Amino acid sequence: MFLVSLVGPPNSGKTTLFNLLSGQKVKTVNYPGATIEYYHSKIDKKFGFDVELIDTPGIISLIPASIDEIITIDGIYSHPEYGTPDLIITTVDASQLSRHLVLVNDLIEANFNVVVAITMNDILARKNFEIDFSKLSNELSIPVIKIDTLKENGIDNLVKIIKDYSEKNKNQKEIKRINEDTLALVEKYNKISEIEKKVMISKNSGIINLLNDFKNLHKPDDISLKIDAILLSKTWGLLFFFFAMSVTFASVFWVAAPIMDLIDYGFAYISEWITTLFGINWLTQLLANGLVAGFGSVAVFVPQILILFLILGLLEDSGYLARGAMLVDKPLSKLGLNGRSFAPMVSGFACAVPAIMAARTIPNRRERLLTIFILPLLSCSARIPVYLLLIGFLVPTTGSLTAGIILASIYLLSIVSSLVAAGIINKFKNSIIPNQDHSSFILELPTYKKPKFNNVFFNAFTSTKSYIIGAGPIILIFSIVLWALTFFPAGIDNSISNENGNFEQQLIENSYASNIGKFLEPAVSPLGVDWRVGVAIITSFAAREVFVSSMALMFQVNISDEDSIQKSLLKNMQKAKKSDGTKVFTTSSIIGLIVFFIIAMQCVSTLAITKKETGSWRMPILQFVIYTISAYILAVSSVNLIKFLGIA
Amino acid sequence: MKFRNASQLLKGEQSQILDIDYSHPSARRIIEVGFTPGEEIIVVGKSAFNDPIAYSVRGTVIAIRKSEASCIQVR
Ligand SMILES: Nc1nc2c(ncn2[C@@H]2O[C@H](COP(=O)(O)OP(=O)(O)O)[C@@H](O)[C@H]2O)c(=O)[nH]1
Repeated sequence: MFLVSLVGPPNSGKTTLFNLLSGQKVKTVNYPGATIEYYHSKIDKKFGFDVELIDTPGIISLIPASIDEIITIDGIYSHPEYGTPDLIITTVDASQLSRHLVLVNDLIEANFNVVVAITMNDILARKNFEIDFSKLSNELSIPVIKIDTLKENGIDNLVKIIKDYSEKNKNQKEIKRINEDTLALVEKYNKISEIEKKVMISKNSGIINLLNDFKNLHKPDDISLKIDAILLSKTWGLLFFFFAMSVTFASVFWVAAPIMDLIDYGFAYISEWITTLFGINWLTQLLANGLVAGFGSVAVFVPQILILFLILGLLEDSGYLARGAMLVDKPLSKLGLNGRSFAPMVSGFACAVPAIMAARTIPNRRERLLTIFILPLLSCSARIPVYLLLIGFLVPTTGSLTAGIILASIYLLSIVSSLVAAGIINKFKNSIIPNQDHSSFILELPTYKKPKFNNVFFNAFTSTKSYIIGAGPIILIFSIVLWALTFFPAGIDNSISNENGNFEQQLIENSYASNIGKFLEPAVSPLGVDWRVGVAIITSFAAREVFVSSMALMFQVNISDEDSIQKSLLKNMQKAKKSDGTKVFTTSSIIGLIVFFIIAMQCVSTLAITKKETGSWRMPILQFVIYTISAYILAVSSVNLIKFLGIA
Repeated sequence: MKFRNASQLLKGEQSQILDIDYSHPSARRIIEVGFTPGEEIIVVGKSAFNDPIAYSVRGTVIAIRKSEASCIQVR
């Protein structure tokens, strides 16, 4: 099928145009280089013909400077799924004509069939300029269309050109890769600047030869300059930065916590309903304790993920994310990271998987690998259910200030540990991650905009959905495997009866899980806990939140309880005794577990994506070994330190 | 008169690019985003730690590191 690709510099209105052509509603990003995936769609049916459309991530030229640009540019030349485009529509911001024509020039030089769509004419008009479109079309020898994406004017003209091309099927010149030295680039720029001068019509004087008019044309957005005077300044800028970050994390927690409670309660209710309705047998046990509990542990962290992606979307869409990156570039570069590590790091608080993918935008390989290396230390949302359970044990009243302070400290500790890890690895200079190219930070600061809530919502929703589809099945499978380990072989042994009330107790005692757990007991006893927690820790290596459902299974949460799973689990945890009669859960053992979860590398999906993004097993193995051993050592030390201080 | 480089400009200061040090590893990208000889640039802001520096160039704002700005020679 006839393939049309949309190509353009970041923030040139490309995605907006894609949505108008496809009749869809996909992501529009304000942060240069944040889109990695390609969106594809058929052209909207209302236009009455059939062509394939793909949207590509924003690029500046056809000569790449980072991995994501290599992928993007390769994808423009020949998309792995859709092939080489028959026609390229390239978006050009009218108010940035000279800068954006660089890419147009490259595309023409590479022999693509190119149509230019000029956007943001309203912004140019506000500067009292307009473009002479037929002149520009003559200068470039390709069609140039004026588009008003907001009022949807000009789309019909563009569609007509696409239709003509798709019907003409004229033979395509051979597409070639382009290569040029920097001097040639400067020359090209000079040529483009000349074109800009020729086609710009000043509304004041008619012709653009008045120097003052031209200065006005190349003046950035006034309001953004005024905002930046504050948000980039030493005191207020940093204050705002910390304020924005605190609000982000606080709202993730305070907004998400009640919703999570509700979800938890809902799944407990379903489990209870299944067993009361159909009685206790292996099938209802599988449904209630395996399947429903598994779905529950997937569903329970959806609220925080969604909220964090929403906030990230707002930061991105408003234009602040790029400023944040600029503010932290200096301190991060001291640790061997980059200002561009900022966006991946914030995403890391939702989930390390998309965060590791977002690290592609870091041009320097070493900084990129180091960023990927430390991302699993940032407190992802899968840890929140674990922390809530453990904090719930330490501070019984939910939502209290103390609980909030503990959670905030955990977040702080996770940030500190990630920075310390970066600093340490950075000290090893070339032995762990070799340095191959120079470090760089060049980032366009887009004009501040009121975020488009529709887009942000849609975007957060899509990210969350792809996350559930990605991580959900693993968690579900492990939940069921875990249930089977706790149910068999005792569950089908008729000698264990349901009558005397401690059916589940006997079930666990005689299960495979118990065999495994008891074998591992020597490893977990320095943490102050017993084999049951050991089993829960082992299962949490599939995905951290599985810990909570494992704990519920290991400590036999009675499903006929009125409380939520968490409440009855906490009750059972209070009562739990080790074989020597001492309590399993004390302040020290709980804090030990928290420390372990802050650092340990317990996520199969993260290891898999690290392997994929770094191209070898080296990085994921290093992450796994270094973080898990450090976590264990630090957890055991904390337990002993707390005991030494005389706290239980 | 001795020429300065862009990293030495003060906040709010305006100047014209004279030349770019093409041997600098970031030179190509710096030119691509719009810093070419002859262009007017203004320092519109410096990060809280004075580095990176944001310049207005060709109608937009670009932040680059001090070390990279030093390859831009200005009047
Ligand atoms: N004023 C104005 N804003 C536009 C126009 N087209 C797009 N935008 C806005 O410009 C921003 C960037 O657009 P987007 O389509 O995400 O650009 P992309 O990064 O090239 O995909 C968004 O906030 C759009 O709403 C236009 O013609 N005029």
